[in-house]
Parts: sequence; C-alpha cells; structure tokens
Amino acid sequence: MANCPVSRVNPEFPGPKQAGPDAERFRSDDEMSIDKWIRLCNQCKRCEVACPYGVNPAEIILREQVRYGGKHFRPLASRVFANNYWLGAVSSVIAPVVNRLSPMKFIKRILNVFGISTYLPFPQFHIHTLSRSWRWKGRQRSRKKVVFFYGCFLNYNRPDLGRDVRDFLASLGLRVIMPRQVCCGLPALGNGDIETARKFARKNARILAGYIDRGYDVIYTCTSCGLALTQDYPGILDLPDGRKVSENSYNLHEYILKLMEEHYIEPVFEPFHRKVAYHIPCHLRALGIGYPAAGLFEKIPGLETHILEDNCCGLSGSYGFKRSNEDTAVKLGITAARAIKDVDPDMLVSDCGACRMQLAHFSGIPAIDPSEILIKSLKRNHE
Amino acid sequence: MSGTYDVVIIGGGMSGMMAAITLADMGRNVAVVSRGDPVCCLSTGCIDVLATCNDPLEGIGSLPDNHPYHLVGEAAARTSLEMFKTVMSGEGGVYVGNVHANRRILTPLGRHKVTCLVPGTMEFADFHSDEYIHVISFNKMKDFYPNYITSNYKNAGCSIFDAGISTTMGIAERFESRQFLEGFISWLKGLDIPEGRIAIPAVLGMHFAVDVCNEISVELGRKVFEIPTLPPSMPGLRLFGGLKNALLKRGVNLYWGKEIYSVEKSGSQIEAVTLASAGRSARVQGNAFILATGSFVSGGLHASMDTARETVFDLPVYLPGKRESWFNDDFFAPGHAIEKSGICVDQSFRPVDTEIENLFVCGSILAFSEVMKYSCGHGMAIATGVAAANVCGELV
Repeated sequence: MANCPVSRVNPEFPGPKQAGPDAERFRSDDEMSIDKWIRLCNQCKRCEVACPYGVNPAEIILREQVRYGGKHFRPLASRVFANNYWLGAVSSVIAPVVNRLSPMKFIKRILNVFGISTYLPFPQFHIHTLSRSWRWKGRQRSRKKVVFFYGCFLNYNRPDLGRDVRDFLASLGLRVIMPRQVCCGLPALGNGDIETARKFARKNARILAGYIDRGYDVIYTCTSCGLALTQDYPGILDLPDGRKVSENSYNLHEYILKLMEEHYIEPVFEPFHRKVAYHIPCHLRALGIGYPAAGLFEKIPGLETHILEDNCCGLSGSYGFKRSNEDTAVKLGITAARAIKDVDPDMLVSDCGACRMQLAHFSGIPAIDPSEILIKSLKRNHE
Repeated sequence: MSGTYDVVIIGGGMSGMMAAITLADMGRNVAVVSRGDPVCCLSTGCIDVLATCNDPLEGIGSLPDNHPYHLVGEAAARTSLEMFKTVMSGEGGVYVGNVHANRRILTPLGRHKVTCLVPGTMEFADFHSDEYIHVISFNKMKDFYPNYITSNYKNAGCSIFDAGISTTMGIAERFESRQFLEGFISWLKGLDIPEGRIAIPAVLGMHFAVDVCNEISVELGRKVFEIPTLPPSMPGLRLFGGLKNALLKRGVNLYWGKEIYSVEKSGSQIEAVTLASAGRSARVQGNAFILATGSFVSGGLHASMDTARETVFDLPVYLPGKRESWFNDDFFAPGHAIEKSGICVDQSFRPVDTEIENLFVCGSILAFSEVMKYSCGHGMAIATGVAAANVCGELV
C-alpha cells in the first residue's frame, strides 16, 4: 500500500493489498470478474519488491486483469496497445507520414475520441528499423556469443541506439547476432490479452532457446522486456522454453560486469564529466538484479550519479497513453520529474524508453539511456 | 547481477542499513540484500533507546549482563546514535532529542509513549496535560479517531479537514504540493484556535515533513506536531526512505525483494549467497557477511511448535527452555521469555558454537535483546549495527 504509486493519486484504485490478496479470496473462475478498478494497476511491481513475506500482489492482480480482459469488452485503446508491435511495424514503414501527423491537433483530437491520450508527444518512428539489419554480420568467431533482444522501443523508435549497442557489444569481442524476433509480449499482457502475449512469447522463446542451445547468451536492454523474458515466460505465460530463456537472459550492464569479473574484458573507463540523475525504472527494481549500470557508473571518472528509485514515472509503457489513466500518469510524472529537478543534473538517465519520454517531457531535462554514457566512456577501448 | 563485495549485509532494516552506512563511510564496498521493505516502515519512526529509565544510556548499566547493549557500551552507543542523527539530517529527516533523556510522544490512542529520539515533526509532542491541544483530522481518514485523544484530555478540541482523499498515502502526497499546503494553512488560520498546540496525524508529506510542519508552526504562531498513525506510517516510511537514500548516496548496492535460497560455504568461510528468482539467480559474493535479519516478525527467526531456527545460515538459536516456558500467562504482561531467543555472539559479534568465521550478527536477532520488554528496538539495532560494522570493517 505504501509503495503503490497509483493508489496514492487515484482513490478509485484500492491499492495492491485490497486489489490483490484481499479481493482474491472472493474470486473464483466460475464467477464473473467484477472488479472494474483492476485495470487501474499499472504493473509497476513496486508492491512485490516491497513485500518482505514473498506475496506477489502485482501477479495476483495481473491474473485478474487477464481474466477481466477475457470476459469484458476491451476498449479500442487496449486492443491497439496490446498489439503495439504491429502498430510499430506499420508506423515505421510509413514513418515520415506518422511523424508528421502525430503532432497535429486534429489527429490528437481523433485519438482522444478513441481513448488515446496525447499529453505526451508520440515517439518518432524510423524506416530503417533494427529488424531490417538482420543481415548485419559482425565478428564471426568468438569465444562468447550473444543474441541481442532489442525490444520494440529500440527497434522502431531508437534504431540508432540499438545499432550503437550492437557495435559496442561486438567491439568487446563478442559474436553478436540479432535474429528475427517479435514483441516480448508484455504490452499485450498489461492490456489484458494473454493470448496475444503468448503468441508473441512462444515465437521468441522458440527462437531464443534455439540459440541458447548453441551456446548463446541473450542480452536485453529494455528492463520491461527483461522482466517478461525472465519472469513472465516461465511464470504466467508458462512456456515450455520459458525456464531456459529466463536462466540465460542478461541485462546489458549486468553482462558487462560479468565479462569484467571473468576477465574476458578489462576496459579502461574514460572520464565523463557530468552530473546525472539516474531514475531507476520500476521494472529494473523488479528484476532483483541490483542496479548494474550504477555499478559501472562508479567506475567512470568525473561522473556524478544521483540514484532516484522512489518514484514511478507514471507512463508505464502504454498505461499512460490511455485517456482513462492520463490523470494518474500526469500526476506521477510531475512528482518524479520534481525529484529529478531537485538534483539539478546535466541530464537524466534511465534504462526504460517510456520513463525517458515521460520524464524528459515533465522535467525539460534531456534523457539518455545508461548505455549511451557507457559507450562514450569506453569508446577508446573499441576504436 | 552477480557481484563481489567487501561486505554483504543480509537484512535491510535499521541495523543492516546502519551497518552498511558505517562500512561505506569506512571506504568498504558494500551490498545490502533484503527480501523486502523492513519492519521499521511500520514503526512510529521514533528511536526507542531504552524506555524503562529516564536516562536511556546510563540505563544500559542496569540491564542484565547478557544484554547485547553491553557488547557496545555506553560511549559507543552514544556515538552511533549521534551518527544516526547526522545521517538523517543529511537526508532532510532531522531527528531531535537528547540521548541522555527520554521524552514522550502522543499516540493515536491519546496516551503517551516514552521514547528517545523523535522525528523533527514530533519535537513538540511532549506537553503538559493542562495545556490546550487542538487535534486536526482528515475527512474519512481511516484508523484515526480524534475522539480517543480529546476524551483523554479535559482541555482539547478537534477539527476536520477535507483533503479530497482519505488514505494516509494520498493525503501525504497532497502535502507535497505547495498549493494544497497553502490551502490547508489558510483553513487552519480560519479556525481561530485560541491557544495551545496543534496535533496533526502524521501525513504532512513524504519527503519534507519537517519543513511542512515548521511552516505551519510559523504561519500560525503555534507549536505543531505529528501523531504517528497505524500503518502505512509516514514517519516509519520517512525513516526507511532517509536511510535508504543515505545508502544509495554512498554507493551501496541494493538487492531488494528477493529471498536468499542458498548459501555457499568453503570451510569456515561463507563465500556467497544466491537469491531466489524466476530464472537465473543473482549471486552475491562477499569477503565478510553481516546478518541483520531481525527476529520472528521480520523473519530472521522462524518458530515451529517446539523449536526455532535461524532462516539464512541455520545458526544455532538460543531458546529459553521448552515451549511451555516461552510465554507468560498474561499476554499483555511484558517480558515473555521467548523474547530472549536469538543468536548468541562473542565480543566481536561473531556467532558462537559455529565454525563460520567471516560472519557478524547485529540487531534484534541477537539473543537476550528483549526489545519489547525494554523498549529498545531501534536504538539497539543502531548501536549493534554500527558496532558490528566497525569490527567487521577493520578485518576486511
């Protein structure tokens, strides 16, 4: 309860304890799902990180969200965002048109009518997505081989960063491949559509497991994709290859630390003289792997890092893009941005693309991914 | 993430966090592993050092010989409590109080509780019973009944403010907003409270409560103080938040929300702990370990019908005899024997009767601490946490 960002600003959501375990006692598969407010949970998982007794309220709520979604009419916005993979695929093909149209007032008004919120500018789409560079061939032979699971955000909205990460990994002496992959499934799950989620996840798991069997590790940068791969694939989605994928997937920074620990690489960190506010995404907290990027930041001379982990940015993927959640998302965004502004940083850093969009908007401070700092600091090593 | 640290602290409560801060200040590379938010979040946020006598530090001398406070000593206990105050004021959570004199705060039941160090928002909570007290409550706020207080004092009044939301967290969130605070202050001014002090349940914001409380005091020209509430308890959450931020500032690595599911040992050394996870487990490796997992409530100890065990390393647990002798007949009579149970340690906070060498124990899991009987929970946690960290830090 004390950790739930939504119930703090929206009295309609009773909080994780009541919405989760308390209400669960009165739920049965034979009965209609009636808790309308169940959709108000944004699945930040803060309740799960906080609970010292191993209760997972967010998971109980998620199961009910799925049950509710299956029995009730799902609004158009939910259906669209469940399939944001296809939305991104279409948008990137006609990127110049979409990028031109999305800031227009009348388009916004139309979107609003369909329940899509427009307080936040839509991300820019790119024609040359990452999925189009599957022909790229980096280093062929190497002791270590990795599959880069880049996720939808890098694929459609920041393919430049995706390519930088890919080249960076290759420069560390890794064989990097980016096989065909689809959305991790988390957006569909969050929008109450478990069938779509399972479809996406099954496809990914099959592809990834094939590579894992051939000695590859999986690397992700998006913390929400990471959470899906490591927790939802073997958990709520219950995929046959789920466990294998889960055990062999690594956060990018976690993997770099691992390589350093194994003395596979011994990088020299160049100074980076900046003061940064590091907004920890809720899903990085939920991964339970500590804050690996912060561990790397400590090694960069001149970098002053202020870790902020108490606020949810409020956007929560597609949650804040729904009109019904706009008020919650804006309130949380303002609170989180205030904490960042208090630090008075040169830039804000966050692993999550959604957090970056939301917080750059509300704080007016440029937002970057931690890997961008790392790539800069380790440039000389791979030149 | 796997990581290697000088010291790994198991338990993110008062004791563990203070140990981590001490070690980080000594320049050690530290990680804290916690399976969730600690019990201090549910507390009043006040630091009970030893409530059974007027001067809590001097009182240490009168405790039974085996009480863990004796391992620390009066002087070191004072230093660690002063250190706690410094750390908290660095996080905007000023604590007031004299470590040599207990003071009182007002509880939501209208009674007094004896404690030692209190959050700045409770500085004026110790008042004479003749003084006029005006209690403020919030519309539909749960579990806070001003009548409990006003009925205990002849000279008391009460008013109710509509914050537009009824939950503790919700109201506290609103107090973070300038506009809301100004509206609240002007409403208070309109009440024309003639004299005395103003008591408000502890909802005056999440981060800057001391400033909010001071501002209300100045604007009204009255002494204003907070009354701790049932959980969610803002003063407890602020205490936890302040210490956690102090950890993050010092570069301490946090592993939060996962249980430990295995321990790796090699001979007399603990090498690493592994955290439970849906997939690959995080392995946290350390040269030394500090166990600060708390007692039964926090899960450091687990009792079955006739015995109790330590949940992480399976250390030998001291028990006060058979189950028949664990409890008093009267539930409310202080000093149930079971409170004595815990881990026995030597002078350097190492557990006795075990071959493990690089492990130190602190906080309420220590045997004979009897924190309920002596009302010494947070104070003992701070003192033993800092002391154990000092011993441990010298060795790694």
